Amino acid sequence: MRELSSETNTATDAAASVIEVANVTKTFGDTVALNGASLSVRRGEIVVLLGLSGSGKSTLLRHLDGLEEPDSGTVTVLGEPVSTLAGKRLRALRGRVGFIFQQFELVPSLTVLENVLTGALARVSGPRLGLWGYNRALRLAALGHLDRVGLLAQAYQRADTLSGGQQQRVGIARALMQNPEILLADEPVASLDPESSDQVMALIREIAMDQGLTVVCSLHQVDLALSWGDRIVGLRHGEVVLDTPAAGLSKAAVMEIYGRVATTTAELDAIATELESARATDLIGATAESAR
Amino acid sequence: MTLTAARPRAAARSGRPSGGAGDRGTLEARAPRRRLSPEKIAAGLTLVALVVASVVSLVSIDISIPQMIESWGNAQNFFERVGVISFPEPGDLLYLTALTVGLVLCGTLFAAFFSVPIAFLAAANTTPGRGWMVAGRFAGVFFRAVPDVVLAMVFVLMFSLGSLPGILAIGIHSIGMISKMFADAIEQIDEGPRLAIRAAGGTTLQEFTSGILPQVLPSWVATVLHRNDINLRGSVILGYVGVVGLGLEMSYAFKSLDYSLGLGIALIIFALCVVMEIVSSVVRTAMLGFAPTRRSLGDRLLRRLGMRGRRVDPADTSAASAALARKMSRADARTAALRRPWDAARRRNTVWGWAAGLVIIGSVLISDIQWGDFVTFWGYLPETAAKFWPPSFGSYDAPTMIAAMGETIAIALAATILTIIASIVIGSLAARNVAPSPRVRSGMRLVLVSIRGIPEIILAIVLIVVTGLGTQAGTIALAIGGIGLLGKLLADSLEEVKPGPEQALTAAGASRLQVYAGATAPQGMKALIGHSFYMLDTNIRAATILGLVGGGGVGYFLLNAGQGSRYDLVTTIVVMILVTVLVVEALAMWMRRVFR
Repeated sequence: MRELSSETNTATDAAASVIEVANVTKTFGDTVALNGASLSVRRGEIVVLLGLSGSGKSTLLRHLDGLEEPDSGTVTVLGEPVSTLAGKRLRALRGRVGFIFQQFELVPSLTVLENVLTGALARVSGPRLGLWGYNRALRLAALGHLDRVGLLAQAYQRADTLSGGQQQRVGIARALMQNPEILLADEPVASLDPESSDQVMALIREIAMDQGLTVVCSLHQVDLALSWGDRIVGLRHGEVVLDTPAAGLSKAAVMEIYGRVATTTAELDAIATELESARATDLIGATAESAR
Repeated sequence: MTLTAARPRAAARSGRPSGGAGDRGTLEARAPRRRLSPEKIAAGLTLVALVVASVVSLVSIDISIPQMIESWGNAQNFFERVGVISFPEPGDLLYLTALTVGLVLCGTLFAAFFSVPIAFLAAANTTPGRGWMVAGRFAGVFFRAVPDVVLAMVFVLMFSLGSLPGILAIGIHSIGMISKMFADAIEQIDEGPRLAIRAAGGTTLQEFTSGILPQVLPSWVATVLHRNDINLRGSVILGYVGVVGLGLEMSYAFKSLDYSLGLGIALIIFALCVVMEIVSSVVRTAMLGFAPTRRSLGDRLLRRLGMRGRRVDPADTSAASAALARKMSRADARTAALRRPWDAARRRNTVWGWAAGLVIIGSVLISDIQWGDFVTFWGYLPETAAKFWPPSFGSYDAPTMIAAMGETIAIALAATILTIIASIVIGSLAARNVAPSPRVRSGMRLVLVSIRGIPEIILAIVLIVVTGLGTQAGTIALAIGGIGLLGKLLADSLEEVKPGPEQALTAAGASRLQVYAGATAPQGMKALIGHSFYMLDTNIRAATILGLVGGGGVGYFLLNAGQGSRYDLVTTIVVMILVTVLVVEALAMWMRRVFR
């Protein structure tokens, strides 16, 4: 399925890049968040932005949805010059790009269904209060997306009664409600336990492949990035330091990636600890297998 | 490298001996000096000056206990003379009660309605620009500073008799507090959901209705209910300037020396205030679906009755619909899910929604609003405005009026210092982490809610009966009334302090009093200063109002000027009050900033 869709993609729009970031620089006060970053993503690609916190992943993603304006450089998404758009045209573009947040960002006091429906706001005009502010077709569509993420039964529960993993699935359903062409995800599993993390990441990938969505997802765990993405883009201090396909990377290359995204000794220490635990897990896995 | 350099300094600051006894001298030399910013010193001196002024005021008002005991005899005589307390006819009583409640409710809702756009402009995270924000915040301060009694006086002139002057006076004055609380609530929201709606392509208005409104609604409802309670208590005084309802009947009764009927109506108003507090507590619990905080009288009664707010168990509804879903095909399940199940939450919301709607419609109907007045009003406007302008001192001279204003300020200051002293004792004992036993705590909490239930005006009338006309009655009435509010605020603030330092001191073997002085009180100090200024602010306006019933100060002149149609003098007095309140407000803002 995946092979098929990517083949048709290459056949029809081989050169069609849906995201084009050129030399974007962004500073917040004294901190340089992005330093001449460039990135090009083709339709249907599943890209992971890899980097430690503060490397500029979130800032880059927010630029793609017009949530930040670059100091210099240009951002083009779906053929639209995001960095210069405003008002109606910017909102129309945002409607075509779904965004999944690290902290889910649901309205806690609203029902799950109402939260999903807010994904349709770009398509309707004016304010909408309550469930009946949206027409039947939209409500049915929202229920469909909830069913897709496995939360149909929870439609009328308050969002804050759900677990973290469930809330993030509502976040995904809300993004799907936009009928997006691109899905942006900013550390979607950083606030989740390992089990929910796996579910959520698998769900995002599954949906992306089903619907042929382009995905840009930021992560800080190298192992997860390598096993999940098609292409890894490494960021360090706001610069793109790595751009490689994820498949078939050697152990040495992985070590190299760790080295590239980290800079200081403290960061390397952190990575060493992470590697240690990864190795420990491998060991446990190996022992379990040999025991079997 | 930097780490090692910092070490000795850190050790010195924490007071640990960094070496042998030999370098004690150098340690003293190396220890950093305590630095105080000039602004902090100035603020501290201002605070001291205010306290001194309050004590001087207190002495000058000369509240003598023996005199009060003596005048207790007067009270006895008085009550003997009153004989049995009488009430209006049941039919009249019912109508007057409904009218008072309806009018107050209309006024509060009017304020709530207009507070939304003002709050939107005044909140730092929604305002379209800094200028708008300042304007929004200033509008709040301004509306708060104009006493509703003065507004009512003006509106009674401009509208044909009826409830409209009262509704507008309550409404416009309440915008001050409600818009401020609404704006504060907006500033405290979680920005995430709003960002999510922006990321999905929502407009600014959609961000507000879908991202902000659901978050602030519980706090907004609580604010409106709270303000409605305040307005009901305040509506009594509006009767003195001609606003219909129980207050007007009471003022007639007292003016015609029918004390038995006057006290009867006062009793009814007190009962009404208590009932209203219970009702708003029930509404808060039921509409918002959270357990009562057990801080108000109503919450207490609710708890006694075992009617605590219950949260709906999400498991049962979801399990039921899941079972339903299993039996059906996917598409059918989705279509079926379009119908929202009638679970407890939905039933509750629907019932309360309809009830609230009916009460609002009922309030509008009973208030019998003369909508035509809104048309004719504009005709009267220039004529009325001309009566109020230019301001003048009328038949009095400037020193007399300034002395009267000074007297009002003295009453407010004296009352505030009395309130602070009493509130520190009662409020501390009412805090869970200070009270020696739960029984003491609930006893003190009960004292506080009981005091809050009594409208200050009724307190003042009773005290005037006891101590005779004058500043003493006003001061004591304000001081007692203030305890209800300041004591509660202080107790809440003390309960919210971080428990860590208290535990640390307890673990170090400190006594209960030492823990209070060493850990609890210092953390609550900032709140005490803030709340005390709020109290002073409230008291200056209240001191004016109490003057209307003979509590002394500028209020007496205000009432006379109003009744004698000297509207230019009314303007002068209002300007004096406004300036005073704004000065206090500015002082309070400065203190809050300095002692952050």
